[in-house]
Amino acid sequence: MLLLVVFATGVAAEEVENPYSSAIDVRMGQRQFQSKCTSCHGVDATGGEEADGPDLTTGSFRHSTTDAGLFRVIRDGIEGTSMRGLRRAKDQEIWQLVTYLRTLSGAVDPASLPGSMGAGRVAFERLDCGRCHMVQGRGGRLGPDLSRVGDRRGPEELAEALTEPSAEVAPRWWTVRVTRADGTVVEGLRMGEDTFNLRIMDGEERLLSFAKTSLRSVERILESTMPTEPLSGEERDDLVAYLASLRGDDS
Amino acid sequence: MRGLGWGGMILPLVVAQASPGQEPAADGMPVLSPVTWERLLNSDDEPHNWLMYHGALDGQRFSRLDQINRENVGRLELKWAHQIRQLDRNQTTPLVVDGVMFITESPSNVTAVDAATGRAYWRYEHPLPDGIRLCCGRNNRGVAILGETLYMSTNDAHLVAIDARSGSLLWDTEVADHTKGYSKTAAPLVVGDTVVTGIAGGEFGIRGFIDGYDAATGERRWRTYTVPGPGEPGNETWAGDSWRTGGAPTWLTGVYDPELDLIYWGAGNPAPDWNGDVRLGDNLYSSSVLALDRETGKIVWHFQFTPHDVWDWDAIQVPVLADVELNGELRKAMLWANRNAFYYLLDRGSGQFLFGEPFALQTWANGLDEDGRPILRENVFPTTEGTRVAPIAGGATNWWSPAYSPRTGFLYVNSFDAEGIYYQRDDEYEEGSIFLGGGHRMPLAADHYKSAIRAIEATTGEIRWEFPITPRTRSGVLATAGGLVWSASVDGYFFALDEETGEPLWRMSLGAAPHASPMSYAVGGEQRIVVAMGNVVFVFGLAEE
Repeated sequence: MLLLVVFATGVAAEEVENPYSSAIDVRMGQRQFQSKCTSCHGVDATGGEEADGPDLTTGSFRHSTTDAGLFRVIRDGIEGTSMRGLRRAKDQEIWQLVTYLRTLSGAVDPASLPGSMGAGRVAFERLDCGRCHMVQGRGGRLGPDLSRVGDRRGPEELAEALTEPSAEVAPRWWTVRVTRADGTVVEGLRMGEDTFNLRIMDGEERLLSFAKTSLRSVERILESTMPTEPLSGEERDDLVAYLASLRGDDS
Repeated sequence: MRGLGWGGMILPLVVAQASPGQEPAADGMPVLSPVTWERLLNSDDEPHNWLMYHGALDGQRFSRLDQINRENVGRLELKWAHQIRQLDRNQTTPLVVDGVMFITESPSNVTAVDAATGRAYWRYEHPLPDGIRLCCGRNNRGVAILGETLYMSTNDAHLVAIDARSGSLLWDTEVADHTKGYSKTAAPLVVGDTVVTGIAGGEFGIRGFIDGYDAATGERRWRTYTVPGPGEPGNETWAGDSWRTGGAPTWLTGVYDPELDLIYWGAGNPAPDWNGDVRLGDNLYSSSVLALDRETGKIVWHFQFTPHDVWDWDAIQVPVLADVELNGELRKAMLWANRNAFYYLLDRGSGQFLFGEPFALQTWANGLDEDGRPILRENVFPTTEGTRVAPIAGGATNWWSPAYSPRTGFLYVNSFDAEGIYYQRDDEYEEGSIFLGGGHRMPLAADHYKSAIRAIEATTGEIRWEFPITPRTRSGVLATAGGLVWSASVDGYFFALDEETGEPLWRMSLGAAPHASPMSYAVGGEQRIVVAMGNVVFVFGLAEE
């Protein structure tokens, strides 16, 4: 009871740890989120369709890195934006929201996973993943930069991305086959497409831009460019553990 | 006066001198003079001005200026831009009156600038209290004018009157209590000497209404609730006490027909948005259009597009009034492309449903019956597990203005063919708090779906052409007598299409998404095209040859 009084002042929030971080607090925070936040941030917190609230599942928050800072943002809002504070909420409710937000990124402690981070790192190099993926500034450009992939992807998602890369490809990584008016063809990653133009990175990592009117056709290639080499269960677990360890806070 | 027939020539001063109620200054530039009700009724006679949110009382968003046309639109260039200080959505449609432009800014400000140069005369900043409840951003879409007074909605649910020459506050009326979830974002509509205005807050379980205020004093003359109370017709369409928190907000500017002397206004979603079980019944007058008597605000007729709406499909679109020939008969019609993906043609005298056809992807109804009521498909209501239905909650279209061109008989509508997953949930109503009863998301990124500007033939509902947009649009549409249709896309393009074919004739990448509808005016005899994108108001005109 005494503890509650101390934290209820709110002013102390700058320096304190989140006192409501148990499993039940996650659920209570989720309920708060569902009733107060989804109209801007979306039911799955990946951003609002109509109200443009930012994606809260990326593992990093633009306006704060600490729990206390997130508490302040939720309580006070962000001046000059549509983010208004939950001024009438109890401190406990706001802490529970912070706790819930912390669960959204999918980040886990890689040491708790069955695979070996070290073996995963070796497998990553043996499979030449760096040909397309950058990690800490080294590697290719034809796949997503994995330097902080552990912040936003949980182990199940990472495992699926390894074994079924074509299951869900984000629009940024769609591959397209572009046929010019003269019949020549170029394939590449769809970096940007708008009403009038298309921008791709081809297999040699060149940035190319086309006026759509100058093209005969643009087709999406549904197959991911990621190779699907058969992995043993152990290799997969090791790679998952290594990828889960790639976090923004330990570089 | 339809079409000034400038034929592409620049005739300085002719228009300014021809317009009523004003004397040009010594250098020939127009001088702000009182905007009488007569001027508003006859706004077609002064197409160089944009005297109200929709341009005219009929809601057509059609400019009779034809100096910029299909032949010369390639010569369009930026003339000036106005940067809005607050970073937020920029939903403004500026007014232009005799060479002065009035631009509303987020959250509840308005500034007057010289329409020739964009340089400021004054700015009014409305002080806002903390803790305003807004579902969807600190928006303001525009002002209305009568005489020399501007009327503006504010986010704290006030209606303010501002002197058009100085920016001084003349009166400030609280329309509703903002702490209970009420807010205001739309431009008011002047009808006679009454300022007609709506309310927002459908996501907070408010009880919606449309109000009429004395333009001189700010005193309220009438209020018409869009959720009928006990004893009023329609109250029986709300189970139990659910009418008390029934929503049906009125957050977009309506229109007026002087001959029939009727005001038309759309009403939004019932509350809570996605849980219909707590408000069984049709939920009148949510997701409906209302025809109101000008003097009393009494409801003359209503038409409900989406009875018992459980998808958030507000009938918050512009009622477009046009006289069209249907089966050899001239009809005083209302054209309505609804958020629910159906295009409707109504008789605006009686409210009679004439026909309705889908104009975008929809999977919720097997068409409309002879009264215009949707024939629901099975398994389309939100559930706890989620139900997949097209269109999305944001709609096949939304509040962004369509445009109707009397030259082509087409209604130009921005449209989106996408599906959403709708969730139902139990929510307790708490005064002033979000009250949704569920949630909504799109299962896939917008890139997977199709968006387009569509030309709907008003009398048949046929799509005569479409201009596909990648990835989608959140902009209104303007049609001009130069044969052009203007709109914008979230990828940051502003563009002009051929009114007959949809062929793109001009475009410019402005680098930020639109949340507004374009308009047109002229100053010094030169036509301008205006669009608000990002936090900027851009003004285009022809380059000298």
